[in-house]
Amino acid sequence: MLPSTLGFTAIVLVAVVLIGLIVLRPSLVQARGGKILAFLCLFVLPLLATGLGTAAQVEHSKSTRFCLSCHVMEPYGKSLLVDDPTYLPARHFQNNRVPRDEACFTCHTNYTLFGDAKAKLRGLRHVYVNYIGTIPKQIKLYEPYNNRECLHCHGGARSFEESELHQPIRSDLAKNTTSCLECHDKIHDVHGLANVRLWKEGKP
Amino acid sequence: MTTVTPTLSRRLKLSGMLVGLGLIVEALTMFWPHPTAFLVFLGVGGLLVGVGVILYLISIATYSAAPSGS
Repeated sequence: MLPSTLGFTAIVLVAVVLIGLIVLRPSLVQARGGKILAFLCLFVLPLLATGLGTAAQVEHSKSTRFCLSCHVMEPYGKSLLVDDPTYLPARHFQNNRVPRDEACFTCHTNYTLFGDAKAKLRGLRHVYVNYIGTIPKQIKLYEPYNNRECLHCHGGARSFEESELHQPIRSDLAKNTTSCLECHDKIHDVHGLANVRLWKEGKP
Repeated sequence: MTTVTPTLSRRLKLSGMLVGLGLIVEALTMFWPHPTAFLVFLGVGGLLVGVGVILYLISIATYSAAPSGS
């Protein structure tokens, strides 16, 4: 359990018990101790709990489970299990090049909640579309994939920097004028999933 | 010592119930790993807590002691 979740749970438990006391015996606030108790459980603890809870919710939002909880994202989760090393996300996921429990967030760091205000509003729209609107048949990124997400790990890595293919375009990659995906173009490819074998962990 | 008037008592109870309910809603969303959970956390739980806290602050800010009767 995350520290913020643990802190949130503890505070909520204490606050709810103390609030119960105030609700059942409002006359407690007649005394000085009762006033302090009411201030704690009706002001300090709820605000603290909501703050910690928000932090915990943001942390939960980074989890792969969270991203794949919407039906529309299921094929993208499945694409992480394709038994073919040419599939870039699958290769990263299966070889622990990204943490499996935060696989989506590791490569999409500025998506919806984690992006700017515009991205956050898009996230709200996604929830609306998920329940009420029409989900597009093909899901696309709003902006071209940023090389920053790749160079965050590969930049400076010997295998990357010494590669004869990378050296001539190294500055273009850093400037984002050439996309990594121009060559590494087998990404999630969710439309071809019906014809591929899936990897099952522990089964060679 | 403060005399708890019926109005203050009623407001404290209502404030406590709103804050308590809000915290319970917030806690329940922790077990639901879905984007909607975050919205419910802030939109329902946060709102109930916020209204409860504001009501508590109003009730103590506008409190006036009951007449002593003598």
